[in-house]
Amino acid sequence: MPIVEVSTRDLERLARRSLSRDDILNALELMKGEVEELSDERLVFEASHDRPDLFSAEGLGRALRHLLRVERPFMLAAGRAPFELIVENPPSYRPYAYIAVVRGVELDDEAIRQLFQLQEKLHLTYGGDRALVSIGLYDLDRVRPPIKYSSVSEGRYVPLGCGEAMTFTEVLEKTEKGVKYAHLVRRGEYPVLMDSEGQVLSFPPILNAESNKVTEDTRNVLIDVTGTEPHLMMRVLNVVTYSVLERGYGKAAVYRVSIKGSRAPYEESPQTEWRVFRLGLTDVESVLGISLGAGDAADALTLMGYVVSFRNGELEVRIPPYRIDVHGPVDLIEDIAIAYGYSRLPCEVMPPTHFSGRDPLERFVNVVRDVMVGLGFDEVVNFMLTDPDIIERSVGTPYVSVANPKMITYSALRNSMIPSLLLTARVNSEKLPHAEVFEVGDYVRPSTRGDGKLAPTTEKALGFMLMGDQYTLTDALVTIKSLMTSLGLKYGFKPLKSKPFIEGRAASILAGNTEVGVVGEVHPEVLTALGISKPVVLGEISLSKLHKLLTHYPPSRQAS
Amino acid sequence: MGDDGRVTLPPRQYALVMKLLELGGVASASRLAEAVGRRQSDIMRDLAELESKGFVRVRRRSERIVRLSECGLKYLEEGLPEERLLNLLREADGRLSLRDAALKSGLSRDELTAALGRLRRFGVASVRKGILILQEGEGIRKLEEYVEEVKGALRGIRGKGVPLSNVAGVDELRRRRMVDVEEIKELYVEATDVLRRAYSAGLISMARVITRLTSEDLKSGAWREAVFKEFDLSIEIPLKHPRRKNPYIEFLNMVREVVESMGFVEVKGPHVEVALWNFDALFVPQYHPSRRETDVYIVKDADRYTVDAPNDVMRRTREVHERVWKYRWDPRKALQLVLRTHTTPVSIRTIYERGGGEYRVYSLDRVFRPDTPDATHLMEFHQLEGIIVGKEVKFKHLLGFFKELSRRLGLGEVRFRPAYFPFTEPSVEGYVKHPKLGWIEVFPGGMFRPEVLYAVGLANHSVAAWGIGIDRIAMMVLGINDIRDLYSNDVEVIRRMPTPRGVVS
Repeated sequence: MPIVEVSTRDLERLARRSLSRDDILNALELMKGEVEELSDERLVFEASHDRPDLFSAEGLGRALRHLLRVERPFMLAAGRAPFELIVENPPSYRPYAYIAVVRGVELDDEAIRQLFQLQEKLHLTYGGDRALVSIGLYDLDRVRPPIKYSSVSEGRYVPLGCGEAMTFTEVLEKTEKGVKYAHLVRRGEYPVLMDSEGQVLSFPPILNAESNKVTEDTRNVLIDVTGTEPHLMMRVLNVVTYSVLERGYGKAAVYRVSIKGSRAPYEESPQTEWRVFRLGLTDVESVLGISLGAGDAADALTLMGYVVSFRNGELEVRIPPYRIDVHGPVDLIEDIAIAYGYSRLPCEVMPPTHFSGRDPLERFVNVVRDVMVGLGFDEVVNFMLTDPDIIERSVGTPYVSVANPKMITYSALRNSMIPSLLLTARVNSEKLPHAEVFEVGDYVRPSTRGDGKLAPTTEKALGFMLMGDQYTLTDALVTIKSLMTSLGLKYGFKPLKSKPFIEGRAASILAGNTEVGVVGEVHPEVLTALGISKPVVLGEISLSKLHKLLTHYPPSRQAS
Repeated sequence: MGDDGRVTLPPRQYALVMKLLELGGVASASRLAEAVGRRQSDIMRDLAELESKGFVRVRRRSERIVRLSECGLKYLEEGLPEERLLNLLREADGRLSLRDAALKSGLSRDELTAALGRLRRFGVASVRKGILILQEGEGIRKLEEYVEEVKGALRGIRGKGVPLSNVAGVDELRRRRMVDVEEIKELYVEATDVLRRAYSAGLISMARVITRLTSEDLKSGAWREAVFKEFDLSIEIPLKHPRRKNPYIEFLNMVREVVESMGFVEVKGPHVEVALWNFDALFVPQYHPSRRETDVYIVKDADRYTVDAPNDVMRRTREVHERVWKYRWDPRKALQLVLRTHTTPVSIRTIYERGGGEYRVYSLDRVFRPDTPDATHLMEFHQLEGIIVGKEVKFKHLLGFFKELSRRLGLGEVRFRPAYFPFTEPSVEGYVKHPKLGWIEVFPGGMFRPEVLYAVGLANHSVAAWGIGIDRIAMMVLGINDIRDLYSNDVEVIRRMPTPRGVVS
């Protein structure tokens, strides 16, 4: 979620009212913002992802104006720009472009900073870091429309912030943005936004031109979005356009631009039409559980910036073009609840409709934990994510690993309890003279199915470990015998030759005819490799399997 | 005493009688205690027992002890006043004015008066017209004898107390305040004839001390002849750590009980999850930041695995994404395998499997998000997830559930604030008051969006859903400041963890 920084004086200018601390705190709570800092000069808050219209001071000021009843929301008519956007031979991998015009703005340093912040936050959240959508702002009076979006094999211009002209290829190599975003363009098929005189406005999504950048003298703004997702681009363009509009302080206007030659789903941009949803008061009641009068509901929606009218006993709600988070009635109902006040909403405990219950396997787990504590073991907890090196040394494949680990030591899911037991031995071997521990947990072992594919299967298992000079396999066998006997299960052992055990000092554990686990003395080579300084005997039993056996063949029915 | 006259004494009493006899059969209790290396108070009970057995008599004797007074010490070092006056007179060639005597002698007025009196009484000097005149003769020798006698007595008691009866001329010393007399009470222990006889006959022996009663002692009755060693309760006792179930797991079980008490049934789901269930069916667009590789673990070599993605869910998910979000929904992205980032896929799978009706289920299990572990972050943690499904389930029931859950977990008052989650609308975040951190967010939830219910084919129902990061609450309840301590394989760390409050009370 983006962190947004605004000047409180700028916010007051946009809200057209002086703002108290409480005004700001209350508004941000309703807008799902989390205040990180609020001083006389500065407000820093974490904006909610669903409200990109609040990623800068402009939208927040507008919302405050409505919420504090400085101004009733109204539908500002949009004009039509006297020129077109020509989309001609656009790059195949980035075929879409839209533009918008806002006339009559007044910009200063802070306003430019805010609009820059808005672009940056939108790029990161909705634009897929410019891969899906990239945004540009220009001084309209310094370009000669119509504007054309196309592709070129090479271009040349003075990029923003650079003193000299460069080719597009040079931009990719020499500028910071060029290096960072070079992967988004194809060599020899560069996207370009030009005016009718062939002047480069932008080499999207990399860098705009210096010559027509937005400055404090700019009165009329041209906005562009280019990218791969037309609808997402259009929504982002709406948010930016209506934020720029705020910089006219009531005197600016939006102009739509028609698109020529585009295969996009739109013929003009931005989308200035206010969508209409009908909302019955019974809908509100059925979601929230409160019955509100039509007047109260309409007032709540007005505070949240909607234009509301009544029609046939229903509310007709008009959605501002920048409210791209509204998809249907539930979104309006949430805004009603927010304006009404979450603290005033009724709370009701719904009596249970059915009998409750524990997952039977979890219940069984607790029986086993009791037995293990009774047998003199301490319970430890390990992560399921573990070090593939330990898995390889102690169990081997198959196991599930992640393609994008943050730390290699947590990059694979344990496929047995044994890696966790060895980690436990390693942590304690220098601190304690001896240790007796167990863990009950899940592991994921990919099992092969008929079609050769692997099914990642979660298994619930008990692992236990005895560490110290006094322990041999006998002690682990005693533990298993004691556990199985107290569960009323018949058991047996079969010699086992397997990692990570010493040959001749390990066994498979059988219950009925099913193999349910393994037990053995860990090979000194494994201990040494893992830095474990004391002998370790360990065992593992699948509780999923034991539980199944107990459920299907309860002890009373087992042949003795 | 046995019939044969044999006497078995506990070790300390044995030592006491042996020392007493060694000291000649009589000794003060303090001397005796010193001899056996004990304090006097330690042996009093033994003496009483020995006395009741007839081996010793304990007498309380009081004695008057003479000690040198401050004045006596001074006279011993500087000379008696009459001695000093005589010396002064001699130095003045036998004639000394009384005024000079007062000035040069350094004696107090009382001392001077007494000294003059004593010189005159011994006939050593006379006073005429204010002048003290030395008179040679027998008197001087007698006075010097007297002085030597007194000083000798003082020397004899210097530095120690001496019984009154042993000091010659004590009355004179007391009169002249050169000694103090103090009355001291002392216990004297005296061996009886019985003891002496038994000792001579070699009948006294030391009893066995039992430090640990054995079944053999019980069987043989030997304990009757032995004494039990007394315990010294002031000695530091070692701590024994009980073998115990892990407090964090116990906390999780407590949470299970609480949620079950509110009518929920536990369900399970896979840790390795299909993006379809983790994101797409939950109306999270494929370009949403929570799906970036920095925020979700992607399974390596995913094409080796089977993927559980029912066709109808795929179809409806595509439809709803393309209708509402309006982008090209990529089925391949939906079929990606991830480590589940939350337990909400468990809920949404349950709805898909069970369909409509009235029910509530919960799951409490591990979820994964790429992170580097520190005191407040983990890449693997527990989430408590639940849904209430029904035809009349409303947002107010979710709020009511949170309040009740908070009450049952002992977290107190809940404050609600608007929140955003891609799959719920309206959404809410419940805050509870942390003793140190103030209001902290612990209860996120909301009503599943119609688009979500559509994707899994549930119509005419509403679902209240919540997914709580339970570890934060675990830290509050267990009083733990480092989240890594919840997932500990370090036995010493676990031993330090308290048993969760809610489990105890």
